[in-house]
Amino acid sequence: MRPIQTTIAMIALAAAVALIHPGLIGPAMAQTGAIRIPVLVPLTGPLALEGTSQRNGAVMALTDAPVGVRIEYEVLDTGAAPETAVNALERVLARGGVSVIVAPIFGAQMLAMLPIAAERKVPLITISGTAQLTEMGNPYVFRFFPNDSVAKTAHALYVVEALGKKRPAVLFQTTAYGQSGRQHLAANFARLGATVVFEEGLDINLKDFLPALIKAKQANADALVLQLHAAPTALLLRQAASMGLGIPIVAGSAMHQPTTAALLQPAERKGVCAESASSPVSSIDPAVERWVAAYRREFGAEPDDFALTQYDAVRMAIDAAVQGARGPEEMRAALASGNFTGLAMTYKSDGMGNMAHDAIIMCYDDQGRPRIDRRYPRLG
Amino acid sequence: MPTAWRKNAARAAAGLNPLYAAGTVFLVVYALVFADSYDQRILAIAGIYALLVIGYQLVFGHAGAISLAQAAFFGLGAYVTALLATRLGLPFLVTFPASLAAAAALAALVALPVLRLESHYFALATLAIGQAALAAAVNWESLTGGGGGLGGVPPVSLFGFAITRGVWLLALIWGLVAVGGAVAWLLIRGPRGLAIRAAREAPMAAGAVGIDAGRMRFTLFVLGAAYGGGAGALHAHLLGVVSPEVLRLPVMVSCLAMTIIGGRTRVAGAIIGALLLVHLPEWFRFAERFGPLVYGLALLATIIAAPDGLTGAAARLRQFLWPGAPPPPPEIPPRAGSLSHAPASTELKVSDLSKRFGGVAAVRDVSFTLRGGEILGLIGPNGSGKTTILNLITGIERPDGGRIVLNGEDIAGWNPHRIARRGIGRAFQTPMLVESMTALDNVALANQTALNARAYYPGRRLADARAEAASFLDRLEIGSSAMHRRVAELPHGARRRVEIARALAAHPRILVLDEPAAGLDENEREALRSTLRDLAAQGMALIVIEHDFHFLSGLASRLICLDAGQVIAQGTADAVRRNRLVVAAFFGPTPGEDGAP
Repeated sequence: MRPIQTTIAMIALAAAVALIHPGLIGPAMAQTGAIRIPVLVPLTGPLALEGTSQRNGAVMALTDAPVGVRIEYEVLDTGAAPETAVNALERVLARGGVSVIVAPIFGAQMLAMLPIAAERKVPLITISGTAQLTEMGNPYVFRFFPNDSVAKTAHALYVVEALGKKRPAVLFQTTAYGQSGRQHLAANFARLGATVVFEEGLDINLKDFLPALIKAKQANADALVLQLHAAPTALLLRQAASMGLGIPIVAGSAMHQPTTAALLQPAERKGVCAESASSPVSSIDPAVERWVAAYRREFGAEPDDFALTQYDAVRMAIDAAVQGARGPEEMRAALASGNFTGLAMTYKSDGMGNMAHDAIIMCYDDQGRPRIDRRYPRLG
Repeated sequence: MPTAWRKNAARAAAGLNPLYAAGTVFLVVYALVFADSYDQRILAIAGIYALLVIGYQLVFGHAGAISLAQAAFFGLGAYVTALLATRLGLPFLVTFPASLAAAAALAALVALPVLRLESHYFALATLAIGQAALAAAVNWESLTGGGGGLGGVPPVSLFGFAITRGVWLLALIWGLVAVGGAVAWLLIRGPRGLAIRAAREAPMAAGAVGIDAGRMRFTLFVLGAAYGGGAGALHAHLLGVVSPEVLRLPVMVSCLAMTIIGGRTRVAGAIIGALLLVHLPEWFRFAERFGPLVYGLALLATIIAAPDGLTGAAARLRQFLWPGAPPPPPEIPPRAGSLSHAPASTELKVSDLSKRFGGVAAVRDVSFTLRGGEILGLIGPNGSGKTTILNLITGIERPDGGRIVLNGEDIAGWNPHRIARRGIGRAFQTPMLVESMTALDNVALANQTALNARAYYPGRRLADARAEAASFLDRLEIGSSAMHRRVAELPHGARRRVEIARALAAHPRILVLDEPAAGLDENEREALRSTLRDLAAQGMALIVIEHDFHFLSGLASRLICLDAGQVIAQGTADAVRRNRLVVAAFFGPTPGEDGAP
C-alpha cells in the first residue's frame, strides 16, 4: 500500500475509535468527592414539555445546592422510547459514582429502567404518575408526584362531590399515563356512585377531537373528565370552546402547566379545572413565590408543578447527601425513611416509594387566571 | 476440506472488501478490550437493529418493495416473546423461534392481498398493517398491557445460564447477526441473485425467462419479516419491557434510514447502517434537545456524501486504496453444435382465441397451429392484434376465450414464468432487459431456469451460467467487451441481439419475436434472418411479428395477416401478399370495389 493510502486508512481507523466510544465525546465526568446526580428526562418527543419542566426543576435544585456540597450532573435526553431511556441509564451507570438519578416522567420508560436500577442498586427519583411503578416491590424507585391512586381520587372527588356531577364522560390518552389514570378514575367514580356514560381512548398524535366531544355530548354527559397529555389537552379545550360544549371540564395535571395554558386564549380556558399536586404560579406562599421568580429569571418561562415537585425531589436527595448519604444505597435508605418538607408539600415514603400524598384542584377564572379551588391532603 | 468448499471460501475471501475485514477486527477488539457495559449495550442494540435491517434489505433492497411494515413484524416478535416469557414462562429457545414464526406467518397472511399492489399502494398498505398492529397493542390492554406495555421480560437464558449483559450477550446477538447475514448472503448470491435483481428491475423480462417474480417477492417479504420477528424477540429480552413504542413509526423510520445509509442490498450495509444510526444519537446526547437536530444534520451529510450508501462509498474507497484488475472474461466455448435443441415434435395449437379491452375487440376467434421447425409470420396494420396474440400466448394477457394448447396441455391464462418454463421464449417489441446488468448477466439469468424448471435457483455456480451465456452472445455476434458492458450502454441492435440470446439461453421449444428486425441495419438483418433460419432448421418453432414484409417473406414458411383482431388471410408469403383483403387492410379498398370511392 502506498504511504498516502496507509495514512488515510490509519486516520479512518483512529476516527472510528474516537467516534464509536461515546465517552470520548461529551463532558468529562466524575470528579472525586462530588455527589453525582444525572438527570435523565424526555426533552424531545411527545413528552418534551413535561420533560423540560422536569429538567429545569432538577437543574435549579442542583445549582442551588448548599455551599460546600459539590454536585456533578449531566442532562441526557431520554426521547420517546424506553430503549433510549435505558441506554441513557446504562451510560451514566457505566461511568460510575452515581448517588441518585433523576428519572423520566414517561411511565413506559420508567418501567424499562426499574429492573436495571434494582440490579445496579441505584435509586431513581421521578415524578411519573403511572401507578404500576410503585406496585412492583422495587425499593429503588421514589415518586415525588401524587400517583394515580391519589391524583385520580382527588379528580373524581371534585367532579362528584364539589361539582355534584354523576354522569361524567372520560377521554383518556392511549398511553401508560392515560390508561392507568382511566382505570383509577373508573374505580373512583364507581365507588362514589357516579356512572361514566362515555369513555374513549385517544391516540397521542390525534389532532381532531371533535368526534369524541360530540359523542360525549350525545351521551348526555354532565361533566367532561380528561386524562390527556399537554398538547392534546390544549387542542381539545380549544375545540370544546369553539363548539360550545356547555358542561364543566376537569382535566388532568397537564392543564395546570402554564405552558399548556399559554396555548389557549383566556376565553378557551375559562372555567376549566385540573388536578395537580400544586400550582406554583397560583401559590401565595412567599417561599414558592421566590422560587417562581427565580425560575422565571433562569429559564424565561412559567414554572409548573412538574418543575416544582422535581425541584423538591432533588432537594430532598441533596439534603440526604448533606446529612451523609453519599452512596446510592445510603441515598436509598435516606429517601425511604426520611421526611422532607419541600415547597409544594411534605414528602414521605409510604413504604412503596410514593412520596407525595397531597393533591389540589385548580381552576381558571373568568380572565383565564389559575387559582387553587380545592386541596385534598393526605389522600394516599 | 473438500476442494469445492476451499474454492468457494477462497473466492469469497477474495471478494471481501479489506475495509470490512479491518472493521470487523476493530469491532471485536473494541468490544472485548475497550468497551464498558454501556458501550457493550449499545453494540448489542446495534446488533439487534442489524438483524432487523438485514431482513428489511430483502424486502426493500432486493424485492424492491417499499414496505413500511417491518416495524410491525419487529413489534410482533417483541410482544410474542414478552407474552410467552411472562405469561407462560417459556425460555429463549422457544420465544425466539416462536417470534420468528409469528412474524413470518403474519407476513404470509398479509402478503397475499398486499403483494399484488404496486409501489406507493404497497407502501400504504404495509403502513396500514403497522398502524393496525399499533392500535391492537395500545387498545388490547388485557393482552398487551396497553400503553404501559408488558414488563418483567426475563433476559435470555440458555441452558440455565442467564445472559444479561457483557461479552456473552454480544456474542449471542452478533452470532445471530452472523448467521442471519450468512443466510441472506447465500440467498442473494450467484444465479439466484441475478434472478432476484431481474425480478426487481424488469419483472416482465424476468417472467419471460421463467423467473416467478411474485413468488420471489413473497419469499423475500416473509423471510424479511422473520428477521424482524427475531430482532423483536432479542429486543424484548434485552430491554425487559415491551411497549407500543416498538410499533411506532420512528422504529420504521430508523430501519429505513439504516438501510439507505448503510446500503440497500449488502449485508455489510445493514451492519454499518445499524452501528452508525444506533451510535449517532448516543454521540450527540450531550447536545440535549438539540441532539436530534445534530443527528439529522449528520444523517443528511452522510446521504449527500454517500448517496448509494456507505457500502457504495466503501467500494469506491477500496478501489482507490487497492485498485484491482477487472474480472477475467468467461471462457467462451468453441462455436460448435446447435443454438437450439428444441424437439421437432413441438406443437402449439391456438383455437378461437379472443381478447377484449373494454369495448375494443383486440383479438377475435383466432386459430392456427404451429409445429417444430416452422416459422410463422404475423403481419397486419398497427392495432390489428399481433402483439396481443403474442401477449396471450406468453401469458402477459389472459384470454377472454379460446384455447392455447402446447403439446397437449392447455396453457391459456397461465402466468408468464410458467409458460416460459414450458418452453416458450420471448423477445419484446422494445427490448426488455435489466438495464443495470451486463449483457452477460442478462443472458446468464435465463440460462438457469431452463436447466431447472422447478425452481429459479439451479444450484449452478454463476461462473458456469456466465460461460454458457457468453457462448450464446458470441453466436449472436456480441463481442467480449460488449458482454461486460451494462446493456443500457449498448446500441439498439446489440440490445436486440442480447434479448434474443437471453430467450435462446432459456432453451425454448418455441420462440416468439416481436419486430426483431426493427432498427437493425441491413447486415444485422441478414445475420438475424440467418440465425432464425438455423433455429428453425434445428427444430425450433418461431412466431415472428414484422412490418418489413421483405424480411418476413424470405424467412417465414407461413404468414397470417390480421386486421381488427381477426385472421383475414393465411398461407405462403406470395398467397398472402396477393390477397385482396390484405391489400385493403394495409392500403385501403381498391377503387371500384364495394364501398370504395
